[in-house]
Amino acid sequence: MTTVTLQYYAQLREQAGAGGEQLSTAATTLRELYDELRSRHGFSLASDALKVAVNAQFSDWDTVLHEGDTVVFIPPVAGG
Amino acid sequence: MSRFSLSAGPVDLVQLRADLQQPGSGGFCSFEGWVRDSNEGREVSGLEYEAYAELAQAEGERIVAEAIARYGVPAARCVHRTGALEVGDLAVWIGVSGAHRDEAFRACRYIIDEIKHRLPIWKKEHYLDGDTAWVACSHTGRAHEGEHGHEPSAAHRGHAHRHDAAAPTPTFSPDYSRQTRLRDVGDAGQAKLAAARVLVIGAGGLGCPVLSYLAGAGVGTLGIVDGDLLDASNLHRQTIYAARDIGQRKVDLAARHVAQLNPAVAVHVRAQPLHAGNVAEVFAQYDLVVECTDDMRSRYLSNDAAVLTGTPLILASVYQYEGQLQVVSARSGEPCLRCLWPDEPAPGVAGSCVESGVLGPVPGVLGTMQAVEALKILLDLPRPAGSALLLVDLLDPGVQRLPIEVSRGCARHGGCAAVAQRGLAQARDAGEVDVAFDCLDDAIAAGFRLVDVREPDEVAAQPLDAPSSRMPSAQLAVCAAELAPGPLLLVCASGRRSAHAARELRGQGRRDVYSLRGGVLALQPSRARAIAKVRRGP
Repeated sequence: MTTVTLQYYAQLREQAGAGGEQLSTAATTLRELYDELRSRHGFSLASDALKVAVNAQFSDWDTVLHEGDTVVFIPPVAGG
Repeated sequence: MSRFSLSAGPVDLVQLRADLQQPGSGGFCSFEGWVRDSNEGREVSGLEYEAYAELAQAEGERIVAEAIARYGVPAARCVHRTGALEVGDLAVWIGVSGAHRDEAFRACRYIIDEIKHRLPIWKKEHYLDGDTAWVACSHTGRAHEGEHGHEPSAAHRGHAHRHDAAAPTPTFSPDYSRQTRLRDVGDAGQAKLAAARVLVIGAGGLGCPVLSYLAGAGVGTLGIVDGDLLDASNLHRQTIYAARDIGQRKVDLAARHVAQLNPAVAVHVRAQPLHAGNVAEVFAQYDLVVECTDDMRSRYLSNDAAVLTGTPLILASVYQYEGQLQVVSARSGEPCLRCLWPDEPAPGVAGSCVESGVLGPVPGVLGTMQAVEALKILLDLPRPAGSALLLVDLLDPGVQRLPIEVSRGCARHGGCAAVAQRGLAQARDAGEVDVAFDCLDDAIAAGFRLVDVREPDEVAAQPLDAPSSRMPSAQLAVCAAELAPGPLLLVCASGRRSAHAARELRGQGRRDVYSLRGGVLALQPSRARAIAKVRRGP
C-alpha cells in the first residue's frame, strides 16, 4: 500500500465534498488511483478531461505512485 | 414634451430658444459646444459622434429633469448632435430660462457637466495625419460637486458629492504619482502604459477589475468586447455596474465606467463576439489581450489568435471558490493554452457560473491578478522564468504554481503555431454550423430534419412543437450511423451542446449537420408567434 496526499479542485472538490484527503491505496499508477477515486467519490469526469500533477509537476497518467506523493487533480473551468 | 434630444442634422436654435421664452423668466442662459481643431496636441479635422440612442435619450432626459429640480428653473432644453461634424460645427446646445440669472447659469453648467460625464456618446476623431480614434466624451469635472445649499433631487441622490471641495474642479488631469514612485515604473513606465493598447474580452466578473485597474493605471487605449446585456444576476460579482443599468449593453456601460474613471483613456467597443474570421486581425491591433469570458470557445479562439499574431494573452477562469490563471506569452518556445489542454472540453465538462455558482469576490481576485499580470508585461516588471498554471484556492487560501513543460505540449503536434492554425481553421469551419430560426416550422420549411439532442427529462419538461427525432448529444458521436440523411438541424436548450455535436459529426464526415443557434431558448414562444401573426393580419 502507498500513502498519498490528494488535492481536488473544482468539480472534483464538489463531488468529493472536500478539498483533499490522505489515502492508502493499492493503486500503482495515477490512472489506477483515479479509477479507484472515481468509484469511491462518483467523479463524473473521465481522466482524459483532467490534468494531474504529482509533487507540483504535471504528470502523465501512467506515472508510478510513490510513498508520500502529493497528487493534484485539475479539471478545466470556464466561469468568468 | 421631450427636453433632451439627439439630432443627426443641424439644430434649429431659433425654435429652441423660443420654446424657453416664458412670462416668468427673467433670464436665459445658453451654452454651445463646438468642434475644436485640436485635442490633446493632435490636429483634428473633424469628428463623428456615435450614441447608444435609447440609453442616451433616457439619460439626457434624466439630466435635464435633475437640473430643473435641483435649481428650480422653469424650463431647460438640450440637444446633442450625432453623426459627422466638421471643425466649428455645433456639437451640443443647452438652454435654460429662470426667474433669475444665477440659477440659469448653474443649471446650464450642471447639464453640460453631467452630459459630459454620463451620456453614452463616443466621438471618433479624425486627425489631420489621417489617423482616427474613438474617444469617450467625458473630459470635465463637475463644477456643482462643491455646491452647498441645494438638496439633491431623488434622482440625483445616488451620486457622490465632494463636500470638501469648495472650488470648481478644473479639467481633469490624471495623477499617477503613486505608481510612478515605484522604482520599476517611473515616468518611463508611465509612458509605456500611455502608449499601450489592451483588449479586454468579456466585461463580466473577471473583466470588471481588469478594466478598472488598467483604466486607473493609465493604459492609453482599452478595447472592450462583450455581447451581453446586464442582468440582475451579474451584480453580485460585476462591480462596475448598477441596478439601474439592468437590460443595457454591458459594453456601453463598461466604456462609460472607464471614461468616468479615467477620461484620458481612449475606449474602443465591440458588441459582437470575435469570431474565427476576424479574431487575428483584431488581436494584431493590440499589444496585449486579457481573456475574461466564461466561454471555452472564446478562450481557444483567443489562444490561437494570440499565438498566430504574437500577442501576449492572459487567461483566467473561476469555479465556485477557486480559479486558474495562465499567461500565454505568445513567444516561440513558450507554452500556450493548447499545450496544457489540447482541445476544447465538451460542454458540461468545464463548470460555469450559471451551473455551478460562484462567490462574487472570486472572479474579483482572479481578474485583479490578471490586471497585475497585464501591467507586469506592459511595464516589463520582473517575472519568474517559464510559464505556469496558477491554481488559486480561496477556501483554504493559497496559490499553487504548476510549471508547464513545452516539450509535453504542442511540440508533439508540430508546435503551437501549427496547432493554432489548425484550431483557427476548425473554428472557421465550425462557425458555419450555426443557423438561426425564429420557429421550428421555418426550419422544416427550409428542408431540415430536426434532431432533439437534449436529455429525456429536458424533452419531457419542454417538448419541441414540431416533428423531430431524439438522440441525446452524448450518444450522437457513437450512434451517428443511425441518423437520418440530412440536412439535419440539431436542437438543444441553448445551442451549445448542439453546436458541439454538429462539429463532432462534421469531423466524422457528416457535412450536412447544423445546429440551431441559441437553441430552444432563442425560439419565439408559439403564443407570441400566434399573436404576431394576428397583428400582421392574415
